[in-house]
Amino acid sequence: MKKNGVKMIKINSKNVDVFYGKKQALFNINLDIEENQVTALIGPSGCGKSTFLRCLNRMNDVIDICRVKGQIIINDFDINDKSCDVVRLREKIGMVFQKPNPFPKTIYENISYGPTIHGMAQSKNEMDEIVETSLKKAALWEEVKDRLHEPGTGLSGGQQQRLCIARAISVKPEVILMDEPCSALDPIATAQIEELIDELKKDHTIIIVTHSMAQAARVSQNTGFFHLGELIEHGSTDKIFKNPENKKTQDYITGRFG
Amino acid sequence: MNLILFIFIVLLGFTSYYFGRKKAYTIQSTNKRLTALPQFYGYYLAIWCAIPAFIIFSLWAIFEPTIVKLLILSDYSNQGYLDDELNLIYEKTKALSRGQFTGEITPFIEASAEKYLSLRSIAQSSKAVIVLSIIIASVAYAYKKISSNSRTREPVEKFLKVVLFTASLAAILTTVGIVFSLIFQTIDFFKVIPLFDFVFGTHWYPAKAFVRDSSEALDPTMYSDTFGAVPIFAGTFFIAFIAMCVAIPIGLMSGIYLAEYASVKVRQYAKPLIEILAGIPTVVYGFFAALTVGPFLKEIGNSMGLDVSAESALAAGGVMGIMIIPFISSLSDDVITSVPQSLRDGSYAMGATKSETIKKVIFPAALPGIVGSILLGVSRAIGETMIVVMASGLAANLTLNPLESTSTITAQIVVILIGDQAFGDPKTQAAFALGMSLFLVTLCLNIVALRVVKKYREKYE
Repeated sequence: MKKNGVKMIKINSKNVDVFYGKKQALFNINLDIEENQVTALIGPSGCGKSTFLRCLNRMNDVIDICRVKGQIIINDFDINDKSCDVVRLREKIGMVFQKPNPFPKTIYENISYGPTIHGMAQSKNEMDEIVETSLKKAALWEEVKDRLHEPGTGLSGGQQQRLCIARAISVKPEVILMDEPCSALDPIATAQIEELIDELKKDHTIIIVTHSMAQAARVSQNTGFFHLGELIEHGSTDKIFKNPENKKTQDYITGRFG
Repeated sequence: MNLILFIFIVLLGFTSYYFGRKKAYTIQSTNKRLTALPQFYGYYLAIWCAIPAFIIFSLWAIFEPTIVKLLILSDYSNQGYLDDELNLIYEKTKALSRGQFTGEITPFIEASAEKYLSLRSIAQSSKAVIVLSIIIASVAYAYKKISSNSRTREPVEKFLKVVLFTASLAAILTTVGIVFSLIFQTIDFFKVIPLFDFVFGTHWYPAKAFVRDSSEALDPTMYSDTFGAVPIFAGTFFIAFIAMCVAIPIGLMSGIYLAEYASVKVRQYAKPLIEILAGIPTVVYGFFAALTVGPFLKEIGNSMGLDVSAESALAAGGVMGIMIIPFISSLSDDVITSVPQSLRDGSYAMGATKSETIKKVIFPAALPGIVGSILLGVSRAIGETMIVVMASGLAANLTLNPLESTSTITAQIVVILIGDQAFGDPKTQAAFALGMSLFLVTLCLNIVALRVVKKYREKYE
């Protein structure tokens, strides 16, 4: 989205280094993420794209040995600053994981989980509404509206992943991080999720890590190419795929390695 | 003698394995493909050694004593002895031959004892000869039989299956045997004491049964108000309840700490330390409860003006609870650790804090396992003997005051069976009735535990 012809930057990362113990996983990443656009992060396995994604909502805090350096600025605020409240940050920045991970609860409870934690609903009616809108946005409402109180783990893989997306958007996040959201799904479910991503970018900024270059080309407006912990090249998806500047990017995209 | 024979047979087994494998290699060297790996040929021969040996040993063990007895007692036939007297003579003979006979040695018995010894040695040596010759014959037969296309793998696999099956059968049959021995004695007990009096009677006073002179005829009316089990059932559940009040919160919380909060290093040291608690013998807990905790509670109670028994239910239950902590903490730690990390990630990514994640996601997911560990703790608490015998008193008071002494099923079984017992006496049989009830209670607990676990598993997987 452009305002007065200027791209709005949602996330601005400066000189991000990540270490697992003594091993450095990311080297000096500088990447700007545009608002209300889909940004794809591509690259061979172990290149650090998921690690970078997990920096954006501080999920790396969960890993004891992981250290993050540098600045990641979201809404003029450095999330690596000590004063950052991780609970509020993660309310603003949702995440969808590689494998669908619905909680062992009912479909309804899966969605109401986040709003309950953040005290977003004052009454049962409000909660019902949040659940309904989230499921509708995730294009799951029609399939599950009659069984909201059955376990979420009983759904099919594609439905589970859409349930996780609904769970993520239930707290109205500004940014949604997706870590290979379709890698455990069949082509039909993948197509549904991709369609959904396109829909979601109206209200959310989306960053998706993917192994599938076709998927990156289909869903994203911007693409960043990672290799061995470095951001080799980033720019509009069109340019990266049709006209890459860097030789490595070109090799990767044409399938010469990775 | 038997040991030497056994070692010899084992050596024979190894030798036949070696020969079987060697023959397989020989066949292989003539460029013939074998139907199985050479080892299987070896195992096959070893089985041909082991099975005949086993059969002969078992037959011998079954028939040798009977035959020897018949031969010994044949000297005494036609002399007008009764069966009981003949049995006595045989027992005396055996005792004398072992040199354990105390009493008057008659020449008759001395002669029998000598005959007994010679019969035994004949039996032993003939056993050795028969076993060895049959083994060698069977192994030789099998050795000749095996060829490049003989099936050796299947019999070996089948043999292993049979061995494993026998092992599990032995465990099951033992259980069944124990249950049956309980059942028959319990039925005998309830022939004298009405079931109603046992289940609903509120007076447990088995010492009263001592008063009876065994020569007197059994008069059921004298046992009224003697075997009313309510006080000891109540005591059992009461003490188990106190124990679980200590063990569940502490065990669960330490389990959660270990699984979720403790760093790798702390966990590495803390977990074995907690498990040391499980390694302390219960008798040590017993005297800890009886000599340290009990008097301590009494002193505190007295200083507050309370009347505390030195052998209080609180002391026994509390110490029992401490004993059960490691079971619950260690098991729930395992269960919580096995909850997939993806669930934690999902919750954290929603902005949940650690305690919210544990309370709302991890705990429900781990609940079946946690319930299982708690029920395991309960059945330990109910079955625990040593602590209650030492620390909770032996008088069966019907009370819900934790500061008084009570008694439990297990403690009463100990009380009843210590010292001399007469079989067929209601007092002894009462122990079986108690054991049976204990068994039924734990059985029900286990069934409930399995149900709960199954129900939640269906819901959460």
